Amino acid sequence: MLKAEVNELLTRTGPGTAMGELFRRYWLPAALAEELPEPGGPPVRVKILGERLIAFRSAEGELGLIDEFCAHRGASLWFGKVEGCGLRCAYHGWKYATDGRCLEVPSEPENSNFASKVKLTGYPLVELGDVLWTYLGEPDSRPPLPEFEWIHVPADQAFTSKRWQESNWLQALEGGIDSSHVSWLHSGGLKNDPLFKGAKGNEYNLNDLRPFFEVADADGGLFVGARRNAEDGKYYWRITPYVLPSFTMVPPRGDHPVHGHFWVPIDDENCWVYTFDYHPTRALTPEELQAMKDGYGVHSRNIPGTYRPAENKDVDYLIDRAAQKRGETFSGVRGIAQQDASLQESMGPIVDRTKERLVSSDTGIIKARQKLRKAVEALRDEGVAPPGVDPAHHRVRSAAIVLPQAESFIDSARDAVAVRPGERHVSV
Amino acid sequence: MSDSISSCARAATAEEARYRIDRPIEGRSARIIALDDEAAEVVRRVAEMPWGRSRFFPNADEFQPGAELDDADVAILIATSDADGDAGGAIARACAERGIMVAGLILGERLEVADAVAALRPYARNLMVTEDEDDVAAVLTALRA
Repeated sequence: MLKAEVNELLTRTGPGTAMGELFRRYWLPAALAEELPEPGGPPVRVKILGERLIAFRSAEGELGLIDEFCAHRGASLWFGKVEGCGLRCAYHGWKYATDGRCLEVPSEPENSNFASKVKLTGYPLVELGDVLWTYLGEPDSRPPLPEFEWIHVPADQAFTSKRWQESNWLQALEGGIDSSHVSWLHSGGLKNDPLFKGAKGNEYNLNDLRPFFEVADADGGLFVGARRNAEDGKYYWRITPYVLPSFTMVPPRGDHPVHGHFWVPIDDENCWVYTFDYHPTRALTPEELQAMKDGYGVHSRNIPGTYRPAENKDVDYLIDRAAQKRGETFSGVRGIAQQDASLQESMGPIVDRTKERLVSSDTGIIKARQKLRKAVEALRDEGVAPPGVDPAHHRVRSAAIVLPQAESFIDSARDAVAVRPGERHVSV
Repeated sequence: MSDSISSCARAATAEEARYRIDRPIEGRSARIIALDDEAAEVVRRVAEMPWGRSRFFPNADEFQPGAELDDADVAILIATSDADGDAGGAIARACAERGIMVAGLILGERLEVADAVAALRPYARNLMVTEDEDDVAAVLTALRA
């Protein structure tokens, strides 16, 4: 349960809100690189933290992210055309640079300096891995670029997809921290999904449906350990890192690639889920890549030409009651991503957390909310930079590991949950 | 209401959320028990806040499982680096016999409280290791204690 005012504090991310200011301290995914595949190509709309923007790649290859609407009459620059170093409005030909500076106002005299007095809001846009990253905060507070491992391994070792989720960002993120639902909602996937099946760890998962949980503070956020019985005198631990504001990783299975999510508010009732898979030491196989593109693992099967999952609320998530009855899927919805999204969207656009009945197995969620609340208040009241801004906080991994019962998961697995370039992830 | 809109699309709107049944939610009856002197101070401070049916025990020796667990929903053990693992174990076993959930909140720097974590791990289904005392009240609030 959260008090109504705390729920408001944590869920609202538009300009001028406290949580919005927190998000504006981080580099955030704004688009996939595939959305702007070539210099001079068409611009794309980007909505993030309640701001409508347009992204484009100039003919010289420079990336820009600027206010979507022309300063002249407010027409959308989505209809515009990339010309040389800028984007020209389709209405009256005003032209803007990648940083939002107006370069030309064709209706003004040739020797006019009027254009130099016009500027649209512009934000930096940087390509790292498969993702275009932006920073919407004050330039003086801009941190170094992100160092998440998935965007720094060779290109053939990683894959990133994106899907639209029609709910507030926080209830989506909380699904990534809540390990206790996996043995239920996703139980079918452990047996059948090509990106999960065959791992020894799956047996521990399916043989012990009542895991114990441990939550430990980390510099950038949290580690949540889910513990199940393994062989005599040992526990099987699945360790989930959470880095503020909204990055989570899923514990891996066998030699399958490791995966995770970055949850980015579009506005208060919608978010983008950037989902990645990577292997620290080898290229993804063609079969793995195809499975990811087909929506297996933690990816979604999107409607062609869009980032909207085929299993969306307008089609009742294509629920298959016969498959549910047969036990192939626990909820009748195909795919882990939309199994989660269907239930999170069913809570309503912004879930009313005053009506929850949390139990002690929800301590990971409780602690994550508390971390966020403290970070928001420290930034708002004292200007303290929040956890997760420092790129050192990004160098974490999830892990799946068997440990003697007497050992602490977080201390014995210290190396396993740290990025070790060129070394395989720890997985069972 | 158009038939062309799916059941899920119709049900997931903010407008429809207003029609959810608003039934009073009963709080949980928690027992919050300190396992060492430093934890006792924390429990005393937290106990001064307004709570529902929960009861606070700064001294684990004064906790009588037979009487105190009769109407309890959850037991929350508070510990620091000097936790009395035996006392925690005895309370946890009494809880297990009655089907009462046990959670542990261990306050302190991770390495300094490693022994306390090891002592509670066999019994507490949920453990949180934190340096922030405010997390105790946050957990109790979240659980409607």
